[in-house]
Amino acid sequence: MSLSYPKRIFLTALVMLLGLLMIMAALWLPPIDREVEVMDSLFIIDITDSMNVEDVRFGNKNINRLDWAKEYTRQAILSMPCGSHVGLGIFSEARSLILMTPVEVCANYHDLMQMLSQFHPTMAWARSSEVSKALYTAIRQAKEISPQPTVVFLTDGHEAPPVHETLFPKFTDTPGEVPGVIVGIGGSDLVPIPKTNEFGEIEGYWGINEVMHRDVYASSRGDSAELNENRPRTEHLSSQKKSHMETVSKRVGFEFISSPTSAQNLIREMQKISVTRQQPVKYDLFVWLASIALILLVLVFLPYSLFTKQHD
Amino acid sequence: MSWSNPYLLYLLPLAVLPWLSRNTEKQIVWQALLPRDNLSAFIGFSLHFLASVTLASLIMALAGPHIPEHTVQRSGQGAEVIILLDRSRSMDQPFARQHRFRLSTKMNFKESKRSVARYYLTEFVNSRPDDRFAYLLFSEQATTILPLTYSKETTLATIEAGGLGRGLTKTDIAVALKQAGKMFDGETYRGARIVLLISDGGQILSAEQEQQISHLLRENQLTLYWIYMRSVTGMTLDEKPGESILWQGAPERQLHSFFKTLEVPYRAFEAGSLEEFSEAMATIDQQHYQTLMLEQRMPRQSLADYFLWVALLSLLPLTASQLYTWSGVSRAYHLKKH
Repeated sequence: MSLSYPKRIFLTALVMLLGLLMIMAALWLPPIDREVEVMDSLFIIDITDSMNVEDVRFGNKNINRLDWAKEYTRQAILSMPCGSHVGLGIFSEARSLILMTPVEVCANYHDLMQMLSQFHPTMAWARSSEVSKALYTAIRQAKEISPQPTVVFLTDGHEAPPVHETLFPKFTDTPGEVPGVIVGIGGSDLVPIPKTNEFGEIEGYWGINEVMHRDVYASSRGDSAELNENRPRTEHLSSQKKSHMETVSKRVGFEFISSPTSAQNLIREMQKISVTRQQPVKYDLFVWLASIALILLVLVFLPYSLFTKQHD
Repeated sequence: MSWSNPYLLYLLPLAVLPWLSRNTEKQIVWQALLPRDNLSAFIGFSLHFLASVTLASLIMALAGPHIPEHTVQRSGQGAEVIILLDRSRSMDQPFARQHRFRLSTKMNFKESKRSVARYYLTEFVNSRPDDRFAYLLFSEQATTILPLTYSKETTLATIEAGGLGRGLTKTDIAVALKQAGKMFDGETYRGARIVLLISDGGQILSAEQEQQISHLLRENQLTLYWIYMRSVTGMTLDEKPGESILWQGAPERQLHSFFKTLEVPYRAFEAGSLEEFSEAMATIDQQHYQTLMLEQRMPRQSLADYFLWVALLSLLPLTASQLYTWSGVSRAYHLKKH
């Protein structure tokens, strides 16, 4: 430090004055408009029986697929900026039922959570689980909503009754017209599916003879030779049907992510494909101005003498 | 008071910095030559103190002090309304259809009973600022998908979603009414409670169901409104002389006569046209402006400005004294050169 004493005093005074100006600006500068990119999305959650299977790792315990789906949806909502809109729906039987069209996430977080917490297998209106058809109806309904949301479809991909590869339900819309992501849930091992009663309590498991193992339509067709070949009968067991979901997502022009570890995985996929809107938000510069003031003042009061060599 | 970035408070020890820095470069022959002056000592102390206060309050302002979002009780004029909208397949049929000799092959979903109901419900919700709304979804099971809320946005979004897609095959009004009755179990009475049932059909209830429903509605002091969306022109809920024999004992009528036996206020509106439907909604609207205790959500309030003010007010004299020192010192140096 080779500044002369008056110069040093002057410099200190100047820096203090700057700090003072910064604090004044922080107090009186009006918030500026800033644009953030927000998305509209529609989360459809599978509530069929196979979602009761407890084979998803969460922390250090296994939780059921439905609970994981709900928790994942919650985290995804939390990681969206204010101004984003989220709608909720459930899927059972062969259709998706939209329960709430997209609403703003920050102001309505509580109501979104209340609704999400109500999602139980008891809400199902039928006992089948036709994933692809339900996905198609979700897409069709998403088109009726404006602004059109990105569909997030959370499922284990278990089709009950099963679908034969050649008899796939037809997708009549344009693939990719409605953007979307399928989130695959569940482990890779086949495990028994719990059966629930009308109160949602688990009562045993689906037995091998209680479910269909072949496509209903395929069995009525002529090519029974192919059908009767010795295939394992495993439709009463469930695992995450990755390859099936990949096929379905290609068909409708969706992205597919399997067992994502963080909500950011989904948000990133969504940002790639979604039609984002610019939402103006009020942005207060006070944090920056006050930080500058603080740094300036710390520089003023740093005890330089402690770490500069004294020179007489 | 809470902090949005509490970890920034770890910077608070920085406030001692002013007490550590010492001007050692002043050229003084002997410290003891300096006279002891109480006033200067006091000024020196206050300047250090002000500097500490400035640093500390800036750090605290940056840590984001705020009063979190909270609710306050206030009384308003309105009611608590549970919406029971029938989502059965028959609600997809056109509303107030004129009798024609042949059936139209074109299905106009814009005029389906469900979309008409959605339209007027939206109007109703918009016209009632203080009401709390809840929405019950029912098929064979009833689920309160939207518990009583003040948010108009979520209420309207749920009503709007009710208009999407096709109806459900199986619906059970009995479980829905029971669920609606149970919603207020153990809740304090805040004001008028309304169950608004909108459906186009009736249902024959068992004696047990009737008994449960009437008990729940009476216990929780509910008022029941039924907007009956007539599908057949001419049929009324009350019997009329000389009417078609087919209408006698129709499920709608049985439900209506059960509702009349309830010991709670009940009123049925028969909507056969758009005008009748909107009149029904208007009548309900007029009848329910009683005092309702309601919670108002106060948004989070930032307190950073107060801390900035403290920083400003303590830095101001500090800067002033520094400028004064500078002017004095520079004058002294100026004199020396001459």
